[in-house]
Amino acid sequence: MHISKMGVGAAVRVSVVAASLLAGASWIGQAVADPVTLTWGMWVGSDAEKAAWQHVADMVTAKYPDIKIELQTASWPDYWTKLPTLVASNQLPDIVSLQSLRTPGFASVMTPLDDMAKRDNFDVGAFDKSIIGGLSSDGHLLALPYDFGPLLVYYNADMFKKDNVPVPKEGWTEDDFKKAAKTLTHDQQYGFGIGGVDQVISWISSAGATYLKDGNLDITNDKFAAAFQDYVDLVGKDKVAPLQAASGGAQLGDMARGSFAAGNIAMVIDGPWQLINLKSSVKFTIGLAPVPAGAAGSITVTAGSGFGISQTSQHKEEAWKALQILTGPDAEQYLASQGRAFAARIADQQYWYKAAAVGVDNAEAGMNAALKGTVPYITTPNWNTVNNLFEQYEPLALSGKQTGAEVLATINKLSAQ
Amino acid sequence: MTSPPSITGAVSRRRGGRLWYDSLSALGFLAPGLIGLLLFLVLPLIASLVLSFTNWKIMGKTSFIGLGNFSQALTVDPVFWQVLFNTILFTIEYLVLNIIISVGLALALASLRWGKQFFRLVFFLPTFAPLVGSSVVWLLIFTPGGFLDWVMAALHIPLPNLITDPSWAMQCVVIVSLWAGFGYNLLLFGAALESIPQQYLDAASIDGATGWQRFWRIKLPLISPSLFFGIVLTAITSLQVFDQVYALTRGGPGAATQTLGYKIYRDGFISYNFGYASSIAWILFVVIMVLTAVQLGLQRKWVHYDA
Repeated sequence: MHISKMGVGAAVRVSVVAASLLAGASWIGQAVADPVTLTWGMWVGSDAEKAAWQHVADMVTAKYPDIKIELQTASWPDYWTKLPTLVASNQLPDIVSLQSLRTPGFASVMTPLDDMAKRDNFDVGAFDKSIIGGLSSDGHLLALPYDFGPLLVYYNADMFKKDNVPVPKEGWTEDDFKKAAKTLTHDQQYGFGIGGVDQVISWISSAGATYLKDGNLDITNDKFAAAFQDYVDLVGKDKVAPLQAASGGAQLGDMARGSFAAGNIAMVIDGPWQLINLKSSVKFTIGLAPVPAGAAGSITVTAGSGFGISQTSQHKEEAWKALQILTGPDAEQYLASQGRAFAARIADQQYWYKAAAVGVDNAEAGMNAALKGTVPYITTPNWNTVNNLFEQYEPLALSGKQTGAEVLATINKLSAQ
Repeated sequence: MTSPPSITGAVSRRRGGRLWYDSLSALGFLAPGLIGLLLFLVLPLIASLVLSFTNWKIMGKTSFIGLGNFSQALTVDPVFWQVLFNTILFTIEYLVLNIIISVGLALALASLRWGKQFFRLVFFLPTFAPLVGSSVVWLLIFTPGGFLDWVMAALHIPLPNLITDPSWAMQCVVIVSLWAGFGYNLLLFGAALESIPQQYLDAASIDGATGWQRFWRIKLPLISPSLFFGIVLTAITSLQVFDQVYALTRGGPGAATQTLGYKIYRDGFISYNFGYASSIAWILFVVIMVLTAVQLGLQRKWVHYDA
């Protein structure tokens, strides 16, 4: 039996919290107007996003006047650096925002929501099934989703028109994609922007390869290596994507999206959650299309995010009430019409098309086509490490210094640590 | 011969009393700094040492694993030895170039008739800029298709793009570090050169010493205390390099520019492997200690602490 000094300290802390919860529980029953301030940790990329979340938080206070929500925000990469330090210093906010890819890593500090959902007859079936699966761990639902989305292709419709290239549509193959990218690559502009692990997984899935075996990372199999080499050749051999030095805080996918927004790249692969930021910063017409079909068809991964309750929260019941509003139909409708979220509630997805996707070419057609070929994005608990290893080592394959297989072998070895 | 006890007793009591009072008030003045030192330096050091013997990953079970982290670093980790090699290579290259450039420029400035202060200020300016900010600007210069590529193409220099090539990426980090760091040493050595009495140099030139001999035989030994100080400090800070690596290359491409400082951050805050990161930090500490001990040993032979 292993006795650890850390365990004793943690046990003391947990018992103190439990004692105070028991003491507080008697108060909760009586007091109906005791104001409670819940802290809510969320990532934001712009002031517009922060305003959107504040609006949703105010919806909670409108329904339950005694619950106030204090928003604690951080930028996207900083949020994932901050969260473990909050865990370590016992300062987790009551409501924790989680992304499906990183849920397995934080499962131990979240409260399972199944019992509360069953007790209140909360309809979990109103949400898309794949994102419910993404936000669960070990069979327990850990967060209620507010958005999800498949990775799909954003294209610059003006560039396509200028170079007389037929716009991508449902059923277009990788050959169509490469041909279009080649025609669109001239002077200072490129046809495509390379991304990191998310886009790679999408690409290889379309090629019929897999990346997991028995829940462990398996990226050195032949099919994966071949598909990965095909992907990195877009930079090295076909030269339809620029080689960019990814660093200084920006990931490969962010750099590609930035170049796309600046009008230097014709196509990037990203999720519908970027539409709000892109639409406000570009001067051209954006179009949406499914990812090009490989040997196995047009397969893409879905990811999404949601909100859960931390284990250390002192106000779990209030947080549960707040969660239901934050992911309720009104909030979903608001977020979808802002373009901030392709709603996880199936019934509210139409608002995204009606509002956010206005002015976007082929939005509904592209989304529907993409949704036909989705697989849930299953990740390993060390996915943050895997993500960063791809960011670090993929450029070696992009510049042609190493083959795709060599890079994958290195990533595999280092992620096993 | 004993003095009258009453007088000396009173004197020594008074002296002892004042000494005791003095040391108490000295402790009082030192207390804020001492408390700060204890809380923010000594305590975290001890905590880090304890952590390095555990497998703390914030979440999940934590246990003491003794020297497990150290053996993992030295025998299992595929990149540790490359990272250590990168760090030492960077330190040696940066240190040598930094000292040569700053001593050379200090000598050149010392012989200027006018504009000495102006040039000193200009060369010191890069030190003011935050290292991360300078690195980002240099990134724009190094980026594929950027300014440096344009210059190399115009001059027909057959080099690949520096920052995306694993063999050349470290040179980018060295260039940025040199640009940002030489001003400080320049000021240090400039001041040391100024303090050399002109009579020595005049006497030497009367005796027929050449400029090179004057430098090697007179100036260098006389500034050797400052030189030693500058070398030790530069070596210590360059072994800990992090800012430039984070902002320029993130340790890439591959592990070409990953240094120990960056590896600690990566293993700690990206892989959440804090126990292991602490052990790497202590390995770095040992490396720095050994290097400084070697330099202190060499000091006896090479540094002249004369008038």
